[in-house]
Amino acid sequence: MNTPRIRYSEKSVLIIEDFAEFARSLKGMVHTIGCQKVRTVHNGEDAIQACKEQKFDIILSDYNLGDSKDGQQILEELIHFNLIKTNTVFIMITAENTTAMVMGALEFQPDSYLTKPFNGSLLNSRLDRAVSKKDALAPAERLMRKKQWQQALETCEKTANDFPKYRMACLRQKFECLRGLQRYDRALELATQIVNERPIPWAMMGVGEIFVAKKQVERAIDLFSDMIKEFPMVLEGYDWLAKLLYRKGQVLDAQRVLEKAVERSPKALKRQKLLGKVAEENDDIETMANAFRQAVKFGNNSAFASPDEFIQLTKSIGMQLQGVSDKDRTKLVEEAESVFDKLDTKFKRDPTVQFRSAVAHASFGSITNDEKTVEKYLNNANRIYDRIEEHLGSKESIEISESLKNLGQNELAESILEEAFEQYFDDPQFIAKASQLTTNKHLIENSKKAEKLNNEAISYFKKNDFNSAIDFFAQASEIAPNNVNINLNFVQSLLKRSQIGTNAAKDLEQAEEILSGVTRLSPQDSRFARYSELNRLTQLMLQSL
Amino acid sequence: MHNSENIFSTILASTVHDMKNSLGMMLEALDSLLDKLEDSKTDPKYGIVQYESMRVNNSLMQLLALYKIENNQLPFNPSYHNVYDFIEEQILIHEPLLKAKGFNYTIDVDEDIEAVFDESLISMVVSNIIGNAIRYAHSEIRVSAEIDERLSIIINDDGPGYPAQMIELVGDYMLGINQSTGSTGLGLFFAQKVAELHSHGEKSGSIELANGGKLGGGAFLINIP
Repeated sequence: MNTPRIRYSEKSVLIIEDFAEFARSLKGMVHTIGCQKVRTVHNGEDAIQACKEQKFDIILSDYNLGDSKDGQQILEELIHFNLIKTNTVFIMITAENTTAMVMGALEFQPDSYLTKPFNGSLLNSRLDRAVSKKDALAPAERLMRKKQWQQALETCEKTANDFPKYRMACLRQKFECLRGLQRYDRALELATQIVNERPIPWAMMGVGEIFVAKKQVERAIDLFSDMIKEFPMVLEGYDWLAKLLYRKGQVLDAQRVLEKAVERSPKALKRQKLLGKVAEENDDIETMANAFRQAVKFGNNSAFASPDEFIQLTKSIGMQLQGVSDKDRTKLVEEAESVFDKLDTKFKRDPTVQFRSAVAHASFGSITNDEKTVEKYLNNANRIYDRIEEHLGSKESIEISESLKNLGQNELAESILEEAFEQYFDDPQFIAKASQLTTNKHLIENSKKAEKLNNEAISYFKKNDFNSAIDFFAQASEIAPNNVNINLNFVQSLLKRSQIGTNAAKDLEQAEEILSGVTRLSPQDSRFARYSELNRLTQLMLQSL
Repeated sequence: MHNSENIFSTILASTVHDMKNSLGMMLEALDSLLDKLEDSKTDPKYGIVQYESMRVNNSLMQLLALYKIENNQLPFNPSYHNVYDFIEEQILIHEPLLKAKGFNYTIDVDEDIEAVFDESLISMVVSNIIGNAIRYAHSEIRVSAEIDERLSIIINDDGPGYPAQMIELVGDYMLGINQSTGSTGLGLFFAQKVAELHSHGEKSGSIELANGGKLGGGAFLINIP
C-alpha cells in the first residue's frame, strides 16, 4: 500500500515498559524502523516527567506497569494536562486481547492497541497508519482544542474530502464541532444517522449526550439503558445512566447501575467517589466505605486524587463502628488512623487539607470516645486555621463547620460560616445547608442583600448601563468585600466603562486596586482563570493609556 | 458478586496471561542468545520455534475467548475498519515465517472499503487461518475480500486442501479432531463462534470451507453481515 514515507529519524519516541527485556526488544524494533531519538522509562511517574520535559511524536506504552500507574492512567493524565501534541501517536501495548479489556473513557482512547507478542513489521505498519491518520486529523483537532468550532467544522469537512479513508473519524470530529456550536438538532441528526446504520459506541453516546443537553431526560435514560446492554464494556454509559437516575430521585437505581460498572472496572476514581456518595444517601454504609476505600487505593497512583475520598472514607468508617464487635472495632480504628496518616503525608504542603484533616480526625476521635485524640486534633485545627491563606471551598466549609458544631466548637464554626456566606451567597445549595448550621441570622440576611445587589448590577451590565452597574457592584462589595465574584464583576464593568467613558485612567486604576485585594484565590479555584484574564487585560489597558 | 464461574474465569485469564508472559520471555531470551551466534536466525529451526510458540499463544487466547463466549463474559466491540489495512496486518503478523519459508502472498482487496467488525476477534480468526495455510501450503497464499450486503474474507492456499470429511462436517468440529495431524478442532470451532457473534439484525455470520479456488488448495471463507 502506498502510505507516504514517514521520516522516522526525525520522530521522537518514548517507550514506557517495566520489563527491561521487552523494553530492549521494543527499542530494537523502533531502531530498525529508523527512529533515532528514543527514550525509555520504566514506570508511569517517569513517563509523565519525561513528557513534561519534551513533547514526543510517538509514545509506546505497556498497559500493565506493575504497581505504578497503568497505561490508561498515563494517557488520561497526558491529555488532561496537555502534555501531548494533537498529532502525538499513542500506542497501547497489552498482554491480553483488547476485547477482553474494559475500555478506558471514550475521549481518552489510544490511537491503536497492539497485543503481545508482535514483530517489527507489524509495529511499523501500525505506526505508518497511525502517524498518517493523526497528521491528517490534526488541523481540525488543533482548532477543536482551542474551541474554535466554526473553523474546526470547516476544516474537518475538508479533511473528509481530501482523505475519504478517514471518513468516520472526520464525522466524529464534525459531531463534536456541531455540539460545541450548540447546533444540537444537526448534531443529533448526524449521530442518529450513524447509529441507525450501525450502533457504534461514540455515536450512541453522542445521541444520549445530546438528549441530555436538550433536557430530554426520559429519552436519554432509554438510550443509555440500551447502550449498556449493547456495549457492556463502555462504562460511560453506566455513568450517564446513574447520573440521570440520581437526578430523577431514583437514588437506589443509580447505585445499582454504578455497582455494575465498578464490578467491570474498579479502577475509576471518579466513579467510585460517585458510588460512595450515592450509597451514603441510600444509608448503605458498607458500600459507601468500600467505594471510598477503592477510591483511595486507586487514587494512589493518580494525579486526580483529592482529599475528599480520604475524608469520606474516615467518615464512613466512623459510621461502620456502630454495632460491631470489639475485634472488628480495633481493626476499623486502625484503618482510619492509617487513612489520616496517608492523607496528612500526601497533602503535607497544603494547610487547607491539614485543617480539614484535623477537624475530621477530631470528629473521628469523638465517635470512639477518645478524649485525647479530640483534644489533640482540635488544638491542631485551631493552630492551622490561622495559617490558611486561601478561601475554603463551599462544600469544605459546610463539612468542616458541621463537624466543629458537633464537637461544640461554635466560635470557630461560625467564623468559617461567616467567611463562606460572604463568598458563596450565590450558591443555592450552599445557602440551604449553611442556613441550617448557623445561629447568626444576620449572615443569612446579609447574603440575601448582597445577592440582590449583585443581580441588579448584572442586569444593568447586560443592558450596557455600566454607570449603574458599577454603582450597584460598589454597594454589593461593601456588604461582601471579599467576595471574589462581585469583585471580578466590578472589575469587568470598570474595564468596559474605561473603553467608552471619559475617565479611563481612573477606572483602570480602580480596577487594578480591586484586583490587588483579591489575594486569597487558589490557582485550583474555578474562579482563578477569570481572575487572571481580567488581571492581564487590566495591565494591558493600563499600558496602552 | 463472586460466583465460582467468575472465579474460574479470573483464574483462567490470569493463567493464560502468565503462560503468555512465560512464552514471551522464552522467546526474548532465545533471541538474545541467538544474537551471539552468527546466521542462527536464518536457520529453519528458528522459524519452527517462532511458529510453534505463536500457535501455542493463539490457542491460549482462543481458549480463553471461547470460555468467555460460553459464559457471556466476552464483550463485543464492533467498529469501522479499513479492510485492506486489516488484512495486510494479518499477513504481517506472519511475516518472519513467510520470509523464512519463501512464501508469496497476494492481497486482493479494494483499498477504500470499510466494514464493521470486532477487530481483535476477527484478527484471531484470520491470522490463525493464515498461520495454518502457511503450515500446509507449498508456497503461496492469497487473501481477498468482497463486500456487498456483507463482508466476506477469503483465504486461499496452494496446499493439498481440507480433508473431505472436514468440509462436510462444518458445524460439527468434534468429528474433525485428529490428534495424529494436530487438528484439534479449536480453530474452526472458534471461527464459527466468532462469526455467530457478528450478527446484525436478522443476519448472522458464518464460515465455509472448500477446496480448489484460485490457488487450487484450501479455501476458507468467513462472512460477516
